[in-house]
Amino acid sequence: MPVLDKTSSALPAVGGIVIEGLRKVYGQGDTAVEALKHVNMKVGPGEVVGLVGPSGSGKSTLLKCLGAIIEPTAGRMTLGGQVIYDNGWKITDLRTLRRDSIGFVFQAPYLIPFLDVTDNVALLPMLAGEPNGLARQRAWELLSALDVAHRAKAQPSELSGGEQQRVSIARALANRPPVILADEPTAPLDSERALAVMKILNAMAQQAQTAIIVVTHDEKIIPTFKRIYHIRDGQTIEEKGEGRALD
Amino acid sequence: MINLAGRDILHSWQKFVFTGIGLGLLIGVTLTMAGVYRGMVDDARALLTNSGADLWVVQKDTQGPYAESSSLKDDWVRSMLGMPGVMRASNVTYFTMQVKRASQDVRAMVVGGEPLSPGWPSHLLAGRHITRGHYESVADIKTGFSVGDQIQIRRQFYKVVGITQRMVSSGGDPMVFISLKDAQEAQFLKDNDAILNERVRTASNPLFNRPSVPGLLEAIQASQTSSHNVNAVLVQIHPDEQPEQVAQPIRRWKHLEVFTREGMEEILVAKLIATSAKQIGMFLVILAIVSAAIVAFIIYTMTLGKIREIAVLKLIGTRNTTIAWMIMQQALGLGVIGFFVGKVSATFWAPIFPKFVLLETADALSGFGVTMVICALASTLAIRVALQVDPAQAIGG
Amino acid sequence: MKISLNPQKILFLTAGLLILSAIAFVALRSGPLAPVMVTVEKVKEGNFHAELFGIGTVEARRSWMIGPTAAGRVLSVKVDVGERVTKGQLLAEMDPVDLDQRMASLDASLDKAASAQTAASAQQKDAMARLDLATSNMQRNQDLADKNFISPGALEARAQEKISALAMIQVAAANTKSAGQELTRLKAERAALQQQRVNVRLLSPVDGVVTTRDAEAGSTVVAGQPVLRLIDPASLWIKLRIDQGRSAGLVPHLKAQISLRSQAQDRFEGQVERIEILSDSITEERIAMVSFTRSPMGISVGEMAEVTLQLPVSAKAISVPNASLHQQGLTTGVWRMVAGKPVFAAVRTGASSLDGQVQILEGLQADQEIVVYSQKTLNADSHVQVTPSLVKPQTRQSAAP
Repeated sequence: MPVLDKTSSALPAVGGIVIEGLRKVYGQGDTAVEALKHVNMKVGPGEVVGLVGPSGSGKSTLLKCLGAIIEPTAGRMTLGGQVIYDNGWKITDLRTLRRDSIGFVFQAPYLIPFLDVTDNVALLPMLAGEPNGLARQRAWELLSALDVAHRAKAQPSELSGGEQQRVSIARALANRPPVILADEPTAPLDSERALAVMKILNAMAQQAQTAIIVVTHDEKIIPTFKRIYHIRDGQTIEEKGEGRALD
Repeated sequence: MINLAGRDILHSWQKFVFTGIGLGLLIGVTLTMAGVYRGMVDDARALLTNSGADLWVVQKDTQGPYAESSSLKDDWVRSMLGMPGVMRASNVTYFTMQVKRASQDVRAMVVGGEPLSPGWPSHLLAGRHITRGHYESVADIKTGFSVGDQIQIRRQFYKVVGITQRMVSSGGDPMVFISLKDAQEAQFLKDNDAILNERVRTASNPLFNRPSVPGLLEAIQASQTSSHNVNAVLVQIHPDEQPEQVAQPIRRWKHLEVFTREGMEEILVAKLIATSAKQIGMFLVILAIVSAAIVAFIIYTMTLGKIREIAVLKLIGTRNTTIAWMIMQQALGLGVIGFFVGKVSATFWAPIFPKFVLLETADALSGFGVTMVICALASTLAIRVALQVDPAQAIGG
Repeated sequence: MKISLNPQKILFLTAGLLILSAIAFVALRSGPLAPVMVTVEKVKEGNFHAELFGIGTVEARRSWMIGPTAAGRVLSVKVDVGERVTKGQLLAEMDPVDLDQRMASLDASLDKAASAQTAASAQQKDAMARLDLATSNMQRNQDLADKNFISPGALEARAQEKISALAMIQVAAANTKSAGQELTRLKAERAALQQQRVNVRLLSPVDGVVTTRDAEAGSTVVAGQPVLRLIDPASLWIKLRIDQGRSAGLVPHLKAQISLRSQAQDRFEGQVERIEILSDSITEERIAMVSFTRSPMGISVGEMAEVTLQLPVSAKAISVPNASLHQQGLTTGVWRMVAGKPVFAAVRTGASSLDGQVQILEGLQADQEIVVYSQKTLNADSHVQVTPSLVKPQTRQSAAP
């Protein structure tokens, strides 16, 4: 089991995500579309929850709100113990929020092709102002934890799909965000690899006490969640998941 | 913080370098065009400097001897020597014509003068100055002649005895120097057919062909075939005199036109080269626009190819300014590569041009500045695109 | 920051270094930082061969114009161009027009005058006879008058007859004299016409060659207009013009090498016969007459000739190539190489030879190094570099001399 180095300055994440009454309307007047009607979600530190819903259900809108990419119309969002949106008021610097508080894992690894693996992971800490040496050190730790340290100096194009995915997860963790949003991280993978990815996510969530939301419709991994949020027509329903063990 | 632009360049360096070379050749052409203009101005200045004169005395109301034709009697030089402030004066003739060597024709400016006098080259590359009063010549190396060659000017053959360098007319034609008398004959004397024609015409004119005055016709025909004209008198003044002070009395009392160095430069550079300068100026503007367009296009294309990465970068929290700076740095880097390629290639191909191409350091530096500005401006198009990228694109909609 | 070297980076760095060195090369070779290339030579000491050079035309020493002394029409021309003629030979004749007829008329007048003379002498005789008669009559009548046989009136008549007879004798004598003078006058007139008749024949004054035939039979010429021109072919020489500025040392009896335009390969010997006192001030040339030692065949008057005169070889002198001389203001000088830097040394020059050497009288010593050829005009702070030659050696064969 990959383990984060306890001597690193890994602080426990605080607060997770809390969403109350989130509403998002696109457009105005006659052409107005209510993508999110009334969404409540709560994910605690160290939890890995699934977000499942068909296309057109408002899933991507919710993801964009969670990712501080778009601004909701109404409701309240708390991230890592910090209120980031409250019925019209919003935190001004969304970008810094995304950089420091939210980790993104995409459908495809989306590594920066002209940076090597280490620098891809170290990029975020460097952007946050950390000195290059420390940033690379942290990157190396994460890569070791994810068992891709032997590829530290390689170019992204030289890695296999699974290795790239693991590097992207390392990148998401690099700034120690309280929240990670994973958008269909297992879609292109077979069941063995998909479960491996879920295993890593769960382990990382535990170790760093990060709240992880996994948007997915992959039947292979849905049974692994302890809690699942279903979203339909702009509203969410919580459901207890199977919570199958990963080993 | 690592340099994103540098990493990107290193990663796809082939594309960058090839684009840089292409841009560089374009910049090289631009620098060469500027060099052609500078060369033309330098040709004019070299002509004036190498003549060693401080004043040019020419026919009244002309702007000769280079821009316009001017004709003076060759004994004016004696009056010049007597004017106050004049140290040396000598006659010169200038005539552009085809000079033959074997079967080869070379366009040259034939100059008539005396060695070690104003108008004669002051230094040689090989050979010697002319020692005989007739039928010897000194040629510029641009003519392609060597010491010992026999060249033909009009009807006479001249032996090349010396070679000189950078002796060119304002139009860039190389100069061939012969003695003044030979030059007067070559310039003003016609070929045999024309002389015979002239003789017949004179003989058929009853005013000139009077039987009661024997010898009249011969005397007239002899005067028609002799020439005592020159194109200009070149004057050197005493070191502590002002050119304008020496020129004024000559203009006033001798009723000749006198130009100082500044006046001649203005005539040659401002008037003679003016049209070419405008053409070259327009060409440079067009080249600058084309270069800007190319840089804009290349950077735009490269940015479009990175839309996904830019979306990801924006999503994970990269500043807009960081992304913009990355793009601008790439454009500037392209400009730097292009400029160096351009400068080096311009330096290597400049000597091959038939006209003198002068690449000045100041031009290179200002060219570098302009290149950087153009690249920076050209990158704004791509920067606009990059800034408008929606981070949500990374989340696949 | 650790720089990790992979092959790509090495390639990039090498390329960058190449470009930088190319730029450095360019900056040092051309442009303002580059040195001026020059060639140097040592000042030579040795015998100095000064020569003079000039262009001349072949002329005849003496030429004659043969023509009439009065306007007239040419009757016939007996010789043509190129023919040799001897002294006294008839060359041409003018039309005598009416000279012969006038002479005939004069002859007739002469005859008439002779007849008048005869008549006058007969008249004289007659008058003498009358006087004799009148005298004897007077004598007889005087006797008779003394004896009073005749009247005094008759005696007076006889006396008057004697006086008349005396007067008649005087008249007759005068008539005779007059007739004689008339004859003399007519004879003189005839002699004059005879002279004119002789003048109409144009005779050659010397042995020579006809060079031009200017009038044909039937043309009208005025007095002084030549019908033919003659020269003495043995008297051809060259009228040589030498630039005044380059004529130092021009004296008679200098040896000359002559090259004729029509026979460019041959060289002829000659010497300076005479230096003209009058020079040409318009063309600034001195004029010298150079004669051939042996007259060449087939030369023509008016032909161009190039003449080189040998001046006596001077004693040991130092000389420099004329390419090394430069003017600064009114001073002539050369650039000396002193410890790798050029220094301007003023000199005083003497004679110059035709192959470009100039004698130095003052200002330099033998074996000093001077700059001969340079790429640009030098000044005191020029940065120079010495090379063996500034032009590529000739690979082409150059044409004849």
